[in-house]
Amino acid sequence: MHNNVVSGVFNSFVNNDISCMRFNFRGVGNSTGKHTSGKGELSDVKACIDHLTQTLLFDRIFICGYSYGAAIGCSTINYSKKIIGYCAISFPWDFMGIQYKEFSQSKSPKLFIQGDMDSLAPYNNFMKHYNYYSEPKKFKIIEGADHFYQGFEEAISREVINFYESILT
Amino acid sequence: MHSVEKLFILNNEIKLEAEVFQIKKETPSCVALMCHPHPEFFRV
Repeated sequence: MHNNVVSGVFNSFVNNDISCMRFNFRGVGNSTGKHTSGKGELSDVKACIDHLTQTLLFDRIFICGYSYGAAIGCSTINYSKKIIGYCAISFPWDFMGIQYKEFSQSKSPKLFIQGDMDSLAPYNNFMKHYNYYSEPKKFKIIEGADHFYQGFEEAISREVINFYESILT
Repeated sequence: MHSVEKLFILNNEIKLEAEVFQIKKETPSCVALMCHPHPEFFRV
């Protein structure tokens, strides 16, 4: 539950009085179970979505994921009509495989954030992957940022909050 | 006053550690779901 990127965005949601939830995938932190290479983790996100809509009774959900969390989280975009869009921070397309690119295709609003020094989710391949997606979509390149975004947490949070607010209006 | 609540979400036999911050004044209500990276990947 302690990652600089996720914590930065989560705390910005809290500070802006925007409801939010974060969680650890199975086998991480105090979550039980073991890593399953994607299938189980997709069901983890869906369980969270079900909890938000069926137990906490939220009407709309915005998904924001970072790195592996972007690939898995954004791949649930078509799971529920209550999901209004997503933000993917450093989506690791080249590492995760083509299926996550297909799962995350959507006609809902999408924001992709990418560091131009990122070699793990390579910046050089970013536009090729971005061009695959349908409109509406936007991207933001964070100049000087690698995959870990140390020192860029505030800039990322600002982009995410602005995008979130733009799709609510 | 709202606060961050710690909870576990059940996914069949799996318990997922989570934190939720819930504003109840919004109508209709919207929530942001944050997905963490996995420490087995990229050491994040």
